[in-house]
Amino acid sequence: MNALTLLADPDTFRAPTPEELFQLAPVGGIYWLTKPVILAVLSAIVVVAIFWSAFASPKLVPRGMQNVVEMGYMFVRDEIARPFLGKDADRWMGFMLSIFFLVLVWNLMGVVPLMQFPVASHLAFPIVLAGAIYIIKIYLGVKHQGPVGYFKNMMFPPGLPKGIYVLLAPMEFLSNMIIAPFTHAVRLFANMFAGHTLIAFFSMVGYWFLFEKLTPLGAPIGIIGVLVTIVFTAFEMFIQFLQAFLFAMLASMYIGGSLHPEH
Amino acid sequence: MSEKKDRPNEDDGRNFPDDAWSIISTLLSGILIYGGIGWLLDRWLDTVAFFPIGAVVGVLLAVYLVYRKLGG
Repeated sequence: MNALTLLADPDTFRAPTPEELFQLAPVGGIYWLTKPVILAVLSAIVVVAIFWSAFASPKLVPRGMQNVVEMGYMFVRDEIARPFLGKDADRWMGFMLSIFFLVLVWNLMGVVPLMQFPVASHLAFPIVLAGAIYIIKIYLGVKHQGPVGYFKNMMFPPGLPKGIYVLLAPMEFLSNMIIAPFTHAVRLFANMFAGHTLIAFFSMVGYWFLFEKLTPLGAPIGIIGVLVTIVFTAFEMFIQFLQAFLFAMLASMYIGGSLHPEH
Repeated sequence: MSEKKDRPNEDDGRNFPDDAWSIISTLLSGILIYGGIGWLLDRWLDTVAFFPIGAVVGVLLAVYLVYRKLGG
């Protein structure tokens, strides 16, 4: 028996493929209406609802929901907006708060029971956000530093010997204009894709060896699968938070860099 | 060490080593540009040496740029 017949054997364990996990069937026959689309809209509604319930009638001494959401606001202000935007931070808080909480809820959809799909594991979603931030970055840079000044500040960092600029300027251009927005989107996508694949794999191990084909030898493997799924779910929640933080922090960094050029 | 220009206003933001986040994209762009030029030269001249030379030169330039931006 070779490897191919083993793969086709319905009695052996088979890891879930990316097609099974990420190519989801359209809902109700509408070709663009898939699970991640529904979850993306649902996440936006959840974020609006959370902030509405917290700040619809704000109290001077916050209680309950307002208290919790104010902690989130302080976190975004002190850790994401202020370090990069400085005195402009307050003007950008609405944007930064929306970005951070939308991406966070998108990501957390990966571990919410019944939802269990991180929206950003489809590259299209982070590309839209990163693309919007990229356009804002260039617009603000040209507006605040002038069309020539913006590219001059970007491509010719001060303090280097004259001749070397010929070699370094194209690198700075490529790094800032193409690689930075690309990695901004792909970092979020790849983390969510990998996390979802790992959790799906280990829960599949648990399901297969404990429910589908329960055998004395397979049962311990199934138990390990369930335990690792639990541990990875906790770890994945940490990654989901971290990636939402990083995505918003990089947005803040790019916008801050356009507002105040490097000295 | 070059003399440090006094920062006009610490409240201006950017008091975090945010340049650190550009290290990876700088390294990548060095390899892509100079490796790419080497690759094109190889195709044009029908050689094999320029692509690895270009990639190494690109990495060296990128490391130099990162060093000057962050260390100098």
